[in-house]
Amino acid sequence: MAQSLLILVTKAPYGFEEAFAGLRAGLGMLASGQVPVSNALLVGEGTLNAVAAQKPEAVRMPSNAEAINDLLEFEAKVYVVKEDLLHLVGDVPLLEGVELIDWERARQVIDEHDMVTTF
Amino acid sequence: MKTMVIQIRSGTMMNMDTNIAVKLAKAALDKGYNVRMFGYGESVTIIKNGQDPKRFPNVGKETKELLGKGLEVVVCETCCKARGILRGEEIEGTKIGSLTNDLSRFVAEGDRMVTIAR
Repeated sequence: MAQSLLILVTKAPYGFEEAFAGLRAGLGMLASGQVPVSNALLVGEGTLNAVAAQKPEAVRMPSNAEAINDLLEFEAKVYVVKEDLLHLVGDVPLLEGVELIDWERARQVIDEHDMVTTF
Repeated sequence: MKTMVIQIRSGTMMNMDTNIAVKLAKAALDKGYNVRMFGYGESVTIIKNGQDPKRFPNVGKETKELLGKGLEVVVCETCCKARGILRGEEIEGTKIGSLTNDLSRFVAEGDRMVTIAR
């Protein structure tokens, strides 16, 4: 029986449905009360979901920033792999509350959860 | 008995993902696992009744056969509504449900999760 789920977000925001869906899935776990721990790990292009300057209103899409903030409000952890972010966009401001980690720590995070699913 | 959760996101006629999901479910059921399948995004077409893909594998038919062997299939209601799939159009024994209630339950009850997506 799984007590914890890690949402591994690999897709960039807005070009795909997956990142928003994954973040909402993570929130759904916590809102249901059935899964005590539900965290998110943003890797590869998924790290772009944590960029503070995103403007979803420009494409009239639901806000991935809001989805991350909702998770944080439920005391979920949202991890961002630093190497992947730096490679894509450099050192840019991120949403408040997300945690920058390296790949070594990311592997530990994956290992700490009972289940991992990818979006 | 161990429980496997399959999260699937590709549509039935997009690629072979749903075929693989159903074959994986069958193999796990044959080995004595409980199997729960949750469909999100395009994969909600798995539960649509009346699929007739002619020369391609009929995922709906194969899914229906596995329901009798203990497979539980739930798909996301919001995703169904977005695609015009309405309650009453699903294969009997499958369910149009939700992430919050059903995927959470699957995770809470599950021992392993396999995600099939691109």
